[in-house]
Amino acid sequence: MTSLTLALSKGRILEDCLPMLDRLGLAPAGDIDRLLRVPSRDPNLHFLIIRPTDVPTYVEHGAADLGIVGKDVLMEHGGEALYEPMDLDIAKCRLSIAVVKGSPFDRPPGTPTTLRRRVRVATKYPEITRRFFAARGEQVEIIKLYGSMELAPLVGLADLIVDLVATGNTLKANGLVETEIICQVSSRVVVNKASMKMKHAALRDLLARLQTLRAAA
Amino acid sequence: MATKRWMLPDGMEEGLPPVSWQLERLRRRLLDHYHDAGYELILPPLVEHLDSLLTGSGGDLERQTFKFADPQGGRMLGIRADMTPQAARIAVRRFAESKVVRLCYLGTVLRTSPDSPGGPRSPRQVGCELFGEPELSGDLEVLRLMLRTLALAGMADVHLDLGHVSIYRAVIGRLNLETDDEAALFGILQRKSHPDLADFGRARGLNGVIETLGELMDLNGDVTVLQRARQTLVRGDAQIGAALDTLEAAAANLSKEFPNVPIHVDLAELRGLRYHTGLVFAAFVPGYGREIARGGRYDGVGREFGRALPATGFSADMNELLRLGSSE
Repeated sequence: MTSLTLALSKGRILEDCLPMLDRLGLAPAGDIDRLLRVPSRDPNLHFLIIRPTDVPTYVEHGAADLGIVGKDVLMEHGGEALYEPMDLDIAKCRLSIAVVKGSPFDRPPGTPTTLRRRVRVATKYPEITRRFFAARGEQVEIIKLYGSMELAPLVGLADLIVDLVATGNTLKANGLVETEIICQVSSRVVVNKASMKMKHAALRDLLARLQTLRAAA
Repeated sequence: MATKRWMLPDGMEEGLPPVSWQLERLRRRLLDHYHDAGYELILPPLVEHLDSLLTGSGGDLERQTFKFADPQGGRMLGIRADMTPQAARIAVRRFAESKVVRLCYLGTVLRTSPDSPGGPRSPRQVGCELFGEPELSGDLEVLRLMLRTLALAGMADVHLDLGHVSIYRAVIGRLNLETDDEAALFGILQRKSHPDLADFGRARGLNGVIETLGELMDLNGDVTVLQRARQTLVRGDAQIGAALDTLEAAAANLSKEFPNVPIHVDLAELRGLRYHTGLVFAAFVPGYGREIARGGRYDGVGREFGRALPATGFSADMNELLRLGSSE
């Protein structure tokens, strides 16, 4: 039987995945908090527990046959090097633009600007942000941050932020409002292209099982 | 930036012993084999006029080619990023008297960006091109050479992937899409993204055709895929029917000749769609996330050089063959 390696994104996606994997009899058989490589209850499936942003890289290089990762990470990673056959409909949120409530930037999308400089955007998604504004013909200055985006417009580091929004509570608590949704985000299954060709039967089988779970949900 | 002067630019590689000797021995074995198979060795120049280097590549090479202006005469020159257009030029201009031309080549090419992040930008390209042979026998000849090349490099457990670009072209032809939409769909199919295809269909109100494309995306697996395709995809389309005939015949021949090479069929494989015209193929080996050798038919090449020729060929990177094989 072909053995498969599945890369899982640490954090919320992992938490949402575990019950699904459990229902398929594929729950991790090891300490997922400590081990980076964990066997599953199926001897032919192993997990890698890694940072979400690393999942596309591991799968692209074939270090994992498949992975589960957010659409936000995939879009930021870019390119067409991976298959992404399925959306698992878990860890749902949206990628949005937010501004300080009542600031000059708090206005409907597409309002012509009288600003004599480029708009500054703080985000941990520089690629998605650049592409989104470029598609509108707007050149922006992007400030890459690794966390606490909400702070940037409050201290004058940026005019807008592009960030994930789940409930909107953090934005609200910091006096920010969402002005526009860039896209909806949920978790996707990605597959290495070479694995799809060489381990086709095993992968199809696993994908079909995940699909039935989705249909039942 | 403090780059020490003995450091090489990103993606540039040098061959040192013992690898350099292994490369040389592999080079001899391969060229001997191509020579025995009736292929002529060509040594095209590193630098050519840019327009000649980009011929027939459908623009894919434009981004990949290092360019500079010739101080004598001011024309744009390019450093080859792929030797296939050079082989086409030579076949048309230098072998004009021959109906069928068989060429092989081996040399370093230069790319502006690596194929995979952190990868090499100076692959040592080796390949064979067969011009003037429009029939399946030509495709099989090239496929045979590719598989023998991998065997000579000591590669065991090779998997072969077959596809045919006419199928996607026929399906997409029914849609009459705008260029932007076609580019978006091309990306979606390359990622086999059912969720994005569904979103695209909803946004454009194209549900019927999207269903066909969704089927196409799932038409991959062992050769039984071809049977499934006949039931779902053909619907009286002669072009698709003919492509399936070609694939069936190719798979039957290859599995007889190479019983140990598993064949995978992927009807939505779009690698090199912009210049390929027929049967396309790639070889994979376990432990490597990308194809190790690739090729296919690109009929009509050479038109810009004065004669449009049927053509098919394959190429691989010698460095990768050596790294993944066990030739010594």
